[in-house]
Amino acid sequence: MRAMFRRENRLGLFVVIPFAAFVFLFLVYPTAVVLWKAITPHGALGTSGLVRALSGTYRTGFIQSIAISGWSAVIGGIVGVLLALVVKSLKRPKWLHPTLDSWSAVASQLGGVGLAFAFIALIGTQGILTKVFNSMGINLADYGITAVGFWGLVVVYLYFQIPLMFLVMMPAVNGLKTSWREAAAIMGASPARYWWSVGIPLLTPSTLGGMLLLFVNAFTAYATAYVLNPSGALVPLQIRFLLQGNIITGEEDLAYAIVAWVIILLFSSLVLITVMQRRTLRWSSQ
Amino acid sequence: MTSQSRFRPANIVKWVFLIAVGLYFFLPMAAMARFGFQSVPTALLTPDKLFTGWSFSGLWTAITDAHMVSGMKTSLILVVLAILLNLVLLVPLAIVTEVRNPRLRPYLTALTLLPWVIPPIALVVGVAATFRATVPWFLASVLSLVPFYALWSMPFTYRALDAGLQAINARTLYEASRSMGASFWTIIFRVLLPNMRASMVAASTLTAAMVLGEFAFASLLLKNTLPTEMVIYQAKNPRGGLAFAIFIMVLTAVAIGLVVRSLRRQGINFNATGI
Amino acid sequence: MATVDMAGIRKTFGPSVALEDFSLSIASGELVCLLGPSGCGKTTALRILAGFERPDAGTVVVEGRDLSNDPPEKRQFGMVFQDYSLFPNMTARQNIDFGLKVQKRSAAERKEIIDRMIAVTALEPHADKFPHQMSGGQKQRVALARAIATSPKVLLLDEPLSALDAKVRETLRDEIRRLQLEIGVTTVFVTHDQHEALAIADRVGVMSNGRLEQLAPPRELYENPANAFVASFIGTVNKLPAEGLDDGRWRVLGRSVLSTVTAAPGATNVAAVRPEQVAVDHADDGTAHVQSASFLGPITRVIADDDTLGRVIADIISADAVGISPGQRVRLRLRDDVSDIVLIGEE
Repeated sequence: MRAMFRRENRLGLFVVIPFAAFVFLFLVYPTAVVLWKAITPHGALGTSGLVRALSGTYRTGFIQSIAISGWSAVIGGIVGVLLALVVKSLKRPKWLHPTLDSWSAVASQLGGVGLAFAFIALIGTQGILTKVFNSMGINLADYGITAVGFWGLVVVYLYFQIPLMFLVMMPAVNGLKTSWREAAAIMGASPARYWWSVGIPLLTPSTLGGMLLLFVNAFTAYATAYVLNPSGALVPLQIRFLLQGNIITGEEDLAYAIVAWVIILLFSSLVLITVMQRRTLRWSSQ
Repeated sequence: MTSQSRFRPANIVKWVFLIAVGLYFFLPMAAMARFGFQSVPTALLTPDKLFTGWSFSGLWTAITDAHMVSGMKTSLILVVLAILLNLVLLVPLAIVTEVRNPRLRPYLTALTLLPWVIPPIALVVGVAATFRATVPWFLASVLSLVPFYALWSMPFTYRALDAGLQAINARTLYEASRSMGASFWTIIFRVLLPNMRASMVAASTLTAAMVLGEFAFASLLLKNTLPTEMVIYQAKNPRGGLAFAIFIMVLTAVAIGLVVRSLRRQGINFNATGI
Repeated sequence: MATVDMAGIRKTFGPSVALEDFSLSIASGELVCLLGPSGCGKTTALRILAGFERPDAGTVVVEGRDLSNDPPEKRQFGMVFQDYSLFPNMTARQNIDFGLKVQKRSAAERKEIIDRMIAVTALEPHADKFPHQMSGGQKQRVALARAIATSPKVLLLDEPLSALDAKVRETLRDEIRRLQLEIGVTTVFVTHDQHEALAIADRVGVMSNGRLEQLAPPRELYENPANAFVASFIGTVNKLPAEGLDDGRWRVLGRSVLSTVTAAPGATNVAAVRPEQVAVDHADDGTAHVQSASFLGPITRVIADDDTLGRVIADIISADAVGISPGQRVRLRLRDDVSDIVLIGEE
């Protein structure tokens, strides 16, 4: 905050400094340490570690992680937006909106082992839904509805992705003025037309921003992935394995290299999110 | 737009959608509850046995387990401390930004999102490297989780606070109060903060939900919080573990719901806004 | 061009009655203002006409066709909203184009109409700007252009000037009237500002609590208010006691005058006396003393406190007001050129 030095600005600094110090100490510096280690494999400056981090199993790991995060972000994003829109348009029952708000607050933080076990209990080999469908002669596994494997993980991730998207999109959806809809209607536009020309363009920046956020959120999810995908071909699992499983120095550096790539990937997503945000800011002033 | 009956085709589609989504969220919980509270193994489950063997015994054993209890206590302390640290750091920042330079808002939102960009393990390793050399006792204590939790809930907290400030038109309030001669601190404590109660509560509930479910940091730093204890317990006793997991989730949801209702009664509109 | 007939409209929202037996007939090309305080039902009436609300009873007939069951999309109206309601992701030009595209007009036709609209509302320098880059007045002009571009049968305006500064309000108000007369579109204009209504309307419908109190040209409303509400809502009014005389005339403010109601001897009533009908004379034995005398240019507004009548407001020509100052004793009387007054019933 660059401004002339008046008493108020000094107070502004007074507030920013503890925050900046905190962020520096617990975020910036540790990240710098890790990044430094990434580009100094075996103690010497070089990119060998970074290159290795993108080859072989690690390449697979990245592709898998991006795929799972991407799919859960897109599907979760679409469902989340639709949920927000539906909830906004339904005035009855009155408890619908507040209940969903509270539930989303809790559900978006769910993850971890509990969620994994819940889905195993539902559609795992011994899951109750599996059993119900078995008794009807349908094997769910044939349709890919299992708790393990790629799509299983995506389905499980949706459990916290959808509420997160809902929370993120509610403000944007609330910002869609009814009078826009009415203005379109009085000019003869059908609802579909309104959505195509006005509603969707206006919601797109926030939606994209939200989906990117979901992507970032899913990428570093650890516990659920651990339970459901023990093959370990996912980035967070690989990092953990390298750092805590193996004590050979070279492998540690590899882990840092992987982390460096993750940071680059997610940081770019963050930049994109900010760009989207600025767009929304511009339009929301009218 | 035109107020009509609730059976328009559009409404039916919306409700079908809601019910489908609702099922998606409900069924795993139901499966978990069934597994946790009914002592009949799935393989042996037949329609006639559907209502037998239900009991709270699994849950009760879990709740009274010594490790679980200590984990609960630790987690609750962490919730309180994390919320405090979070608010202390972010409330002044949010106020100062909104009042003096609102255009920085997107950048600050991005800044508070940064923690999510770094995998937890990287943060832990980086922090450990620094602190082990200088202040080793810090990492050993459970309190070392607090800064991480404060960092991890920054995105929600900042956004909730910022939305709250925007809703009350903080800038105008501030300038109006100044023109009436109020000092900076008076404005903060008697004008802005009371009006931010709703957003502070919103931010705090999200932080609480996060801390109570957070596993990665806790296990990396080898601490015994509720989630880590739950994982250990689940390995020994799957039935009880799941029953307890459901119990905690329902408890958290109910607690949040009560907070929201009491806020509503005071006329404050709760909006768990996200990013 | 379109005639509008709303008949017997009743609308309730839960327990509260927004409109009670509301009927309105508008001739083709007429500009009717619905005027009243907040909550009187004027916006509800407009929204029912537009099709955004469905009445509990009554019909909406336009050009002889019953539109009561038609959704807004089918009515071919134009509407200007209080918050402009411009689409933020489109420029002024694109906003105006929207309705034309819906009407499936050819590209050439659309361009021609848009250019004309922009010229007529003086929006040339702003045509390619987005709403967030425009001022309130500019946005409202775009909203107006957008509403009339589609050659609507009826133009609806919902308090379009309320959000604007006073100076802009006046200019835009006259522009709206000028355009309306040029195009000849039947228009319904909702406002709570009587000056707006009186300035531009062919007829004004004064509303209160869901009922239409009086529907008449502005002058008639001013000179012959139908009841106490209309009298006090339109302009300023002094409510003074009227005493019935033997010859059927009334005694008001020291003079004997006629009214539409013949007086029974000794009857009492309340007269609505306009400030410009009151004359003020210096008199040391007068029953009133001056509270304030505000110079307003051509007119000076004198507010006097009378011993029996209470507060009386008098507007006198400034030349005659020389020497009248606060604290002085004066005598108030009805001006000589006032021969009849309006009675508004028992006090």
